[in-house]
Amino acid sequence: MIISHNKSISSNLLYTIVLLPVLLLLVLPVLNIVVLTFFGTNFPESIASINRDLFLLLLKSLAVSGIVALISTFIGIVLGFSLYKSDIKYRNVFRLLILIPLFISPYILAVAWKDISVLIFDYNTSIFEKTYSFFGMILVHSTIYSPLSILIIGSALSNISKQMEESALLMGSFKDMFFKILLPLIRPSIITSFVLILIFSISEFSVPAFLGFRVFTTEIFTQFSAFYNHNLAMLQSLLLIFICVILLVSERKRISDSVFLSIGTRGREVKLYSSKKIVVFSYIILSFAVVFTVFIPVSILVYQSFKTGTSKFMEAIFLLLPTIGNSVLLAVIGSIISVFIGFVAAYYSEILNKKLMNMMLLVLFAIPSTIFGIALIKFYNNSLLNFIYSSFGILIIGYVGKYSFISAKLIGNSIKQMPKSMEEAAVIQWIGFFKRIQKIVIPLVLPAIFASFIINFLFCFGDLGTSIMVYPPGTEIMPIKVFTIMANATESLTSSMALIVFLVTILLVSLLFFIFKKIIAKYNVNY
Amino acid sequence: MSIIKLINISHWYSENRVLDNLNLEIEKNKITYILGSSGSGKTTILRLIAGLEVPDKGEIYIQNLKASVANKIIVAPGKRQLGYIFQDLALWPHLTVYENIAFGLKNMNKSEVEGEVKGILSLFGLNGSLQKFPHQLSGGQQQMVAIARALALKPKILLMDEPLASLDVKSKRKILDYIVSIKEKYNLTIVYVTHDHLEAFAIADNIVVINEGKIQESGTAVEIKNSTNDFVKYFIEW
Repeated sequence: MIISHNKSISSNLLYTIVLLPVLLLLVLPVLNIVVLTFFGTNFPESIASINRDLFLLLLKSLAVSGIVALISTFIGIVLGFSLYKSDIKYRNVFRLLILIPLFISPYILAVAWKDISVLIFDYNTSIFEKTYSFFGMILVHSTIYSPLSILIIGSALSNISKQMEESALLMGSFKDMFFKILLPLIRPSIITSFVLILIFSISEFSVPAFLGFRVFTTEIFTQFSAFYNHNLAMLQSLLLIFICVILLVSERKRISDSVFLSIGTRGREVKLYSSKKIVVFSYIILSFAVVFTVFIPVSILVYQSFKTGTSKFMEAIFLLLPTIGNSVLLAVIGSIISVFIGFVAAYYSEILNKKLMNMMLLVLFAIPSTIFGIALIKFYNNSLLNFIYSSFGILIIGYVGKYSFISAKLIGNSIKQMPKSMEEAAVIQWIGFFKRIQKIVIPLVLPAIFASFIINFLFCFGDLGTSIMVYPPGTEIMPIKVFTIMANATESLTSSMALIVFLVTILLVSLLFFIFKKIIAKYNVNY
Repeated sequence: MSIIKLINISHWYSENRVLDNLNLEIEKNKITYILGSSGSGKTTILRLIAGLEVPDKGEIYIQNLKASVANKIIVAPGKRQLGYIFQDLALWPHLTVYENIAFGLKNMNKSEVEGEVKGILSLFGLNGSLQKFPHQLSGGQQQMVAIARALALKPKILLMDEPLASLDVKSKRKILDYIVSIKEKYNLTIVYVTHDHLEAFAIADNIVVINEGKIQESGTAVEIKNSTNDFVKYFIEW
């Protein structure tokens, strides 16, 4: 089947204009390290350095990330149901609070939980330190990634027709309906949640680095930045890229079909359960989650920051104040470009069935941040491209490469919900491609565009994995500053900086929501 | 005299053949109903006429111009001088009634656009709804706006894809009367797709009954009622 209006010159032009920079600036660096690794002169030496210990380390990383993915997905099912399907009051307040850990940089929570362990246990006992690191890593990662699972699974639950559940309830018990109807219906989202969290967790660098827990990403970082063994680091990177891409590609169909991160339910009636048992259970479990993942860590950060007065907090403010402007500006630029690329990738993928750009963004998204950073260094660190490498441009490229897929997915879900007749009605009226995009498509997916801007902004603002590899000398951005200072700082100062990053993030999110709230409400239309 | 000709049209969706070597002529200034059950290929016929899809085989002529051939659109949808009322009406939810209708009007200044929109809406008694959004209108009013939007571009052909399916009998009757009157007023050729044979018998000049991508019978309402074709007899019995 060929849809006629999709073949216009303007439509091909836009796709080419966006695809080329994505290919040249983002994908080529990754292909470059593949070539450098396999065809470099040191390849035999690097291969020889891959030993049993390294494979054990890889297995350990996979095991830890697998546990994190399992725990987070289980929490996602339980809390997703409580949040999206039970008839509770203050649903939006709970939703906002539950999602907080997703929006703050992972190392903030690592700092908070380390503070808790110092208060409760003797952290300096070496055996316990190791044990704590293992559990700490699982605890912190599960806390960070559970909200993602809640979002993915909650979105899927909200997209199930009320009638499906009601007809099952007429024929059987709630338990039958839940296990035989609801869970199978959201299976693609459960698998998506598991795979994405596994990839996120195995790729994450800041938490294991902060907790001193040796995993594959920290090993790559050490080989690259401490031992300058670039060839081995690249070979190790390829191993991890291979695992992440295999995981993603094997579940590509499910992941692309999963409704994850959809904005609104477009007037679909969602079945809400109001039985006392379910509502009380939901209140308890949601309150516990808020206390455990937000209230305790934040309280401990506040306590540690101010236990010796306000001096450390003030010191942290003075240290971080010069970085806020840069961080916000770079995150805004990064998010605007990511949203633009994401929109184009989503439109062409959903409407015109051109999946190439979407696939590229998916692969870039799956590559661990530190490894993407290495790819960028290897590609841009030369006399020809040094003007990019030595400027903020390299950070923007890092952000765009890592996070454009989030926009593509979010906007893609919204485009998927838009009946194709909306655009066809304009085609019949001889409305050109760009006017159709500007006047029909963009306004109809505007809530998703703004939501993806906010989410992208938060990811760019808090990014450490890529930034720490590529930041140009003298660059003052918040996560880098915090991370570099906290290695030698007192607990109070570290906590104060973490608290400030947390507060700034929350302030910025609130500000963005406040700005976009009315627009999102106006354009969140039913078809 | 025919205004639309479909010659040896075949069309597939993936592996499924929806139209099978179909030949069809639509007479000018008549209301032609394409009648068939779900999945029979009737909407595909409208989409091919509109140029929203490209035939896999065959040729389509509109007003004696070759509009589409196999795998190629020759006359773009916007240049075929036709209006299309979609099954879901496709009223843009973020635009007011006024903006929905004015959207496609080109080469006019603001006051001309205003005059045109108001003129068309007055035909349907909808002048009071200019600044309303589609969701603020009743189902019947939304149908009227969709028709008004299509008419604003002064089409020669109006393609209607079951737009009244969700309406109650009374509203349906009212809009069918409007359709007959606008056909006369604007000298329109109307191609109307439905599975409701009673609706077709009420206002159609010609009826084409289609099943599994093939035409089973065509003729006036009386001829269809008296058809000896097994499928047609079965279909209109319901």
